[in-house]
Amino acid sequence: MNSIIFIILALFSLYVFFKLGKVRASGKQLNRDNRINRFGQKEQRGNIIEGESEEIKDDDEK
Amino acid sequence: MSKHSALNRFGRSGNPAFSKGFGINENISGEAMTLDGTVNKTGILLALCVGGAYFGWNSPGLVMPAILIGFVIALFTIFRPKNSPYTAPAYAAIEGVALGGITMIFEAQYPGIGIQAIGLTFGILASLLFCYKSGIIKPTENFRLMIFAGTMGIFILYLVSFIMSFFGNSIGFIHSNGLFGIGFSLFVVAIASLNLVLDFDFIEEGAEKGMPKYLEWYGAFSLMVTLIWLYLEILRLLAKIRSR
Repeated sequence: MNSIIFIILALFSLYVFFKLGKVRASGKQLNRDNRINRFGQKEQRGNIIEGESEEIKDDDEK
Repeated sequence: MSKHSALNRFGRSGNPAFSKGFGINENISGEAMTLDGTVNKTGILLALCVGGAYFGWNSPGLVMPAILIGFVIALFTIFRPKNSPYTAPAYAAIEGVALGGITMIFEAQYPGIGIQAIGLTFGILASLLFCYKSGIIKPTENFRLMIFAGTMGIFILYLVSFIMSFFGNSIGFIHSNGLFGIGFSLFVVAIASLNLVLDFDFIEEGAEKGMPKYLEWYGAFSLMVTLIWLYLEILRLLAKIRSR
């Protein structure tokens, strides 16, 4: 009887793993600022200043 | 002369680590890693492990050679992840042989312990996967550092104990069936379980960022290493409890 319970637990857990494993994690998990960044791709932050760029020349300082 | 003449002459940075991350630009033309693929490959590795275990159950003399060969293959896979489509299945099958033999030895002493350990291992796998996917457990850099420190601490303790065993000594409490020994085993099971969360996060991030296809095998391999460790620790914990 004891063994049957553990066999059922193992089979049910495997079913859960194969079903849930293929589903993407929730937004709560994925949309965080403190996620581990293993592959070096930094997320784009909104620090791009819009507008025209202008070249700075040495003469400008004078 | 422009203020940025040095940057213009030498470029923003010559360091490739800044221009591209680990393996990021490797996947320009190839297929990308997916969650489906990784889960399917984990299934293949589990099947190979069970097949190996059947073989190992009938020949327990192969436990030590299988552990040593498995360890070498694991190191090779860690340092050469691109070869994981070939080395991960070999690792799973060979470790299966070792697990089969070890389980048979434990079963001879404590009947029914094998299936209990299997049930608990997969139970922990499924419950932690649920906790990860739902966002109950959120792995961060600090979390990773903590788990890494715990894992390394256990590894060093086991290594010292292994070396001391050649001189007829041992770190007694880690093998004892007293409260301290059971507490230590519980701690090791907890650390091994939390390593699963890091594996899930690795797979999720790899699939999200479209990493190369071979990392599916590598992700499945990481999961197998943790599952095998967890299974062995649960087996030891149950044996300690039942020997009291």
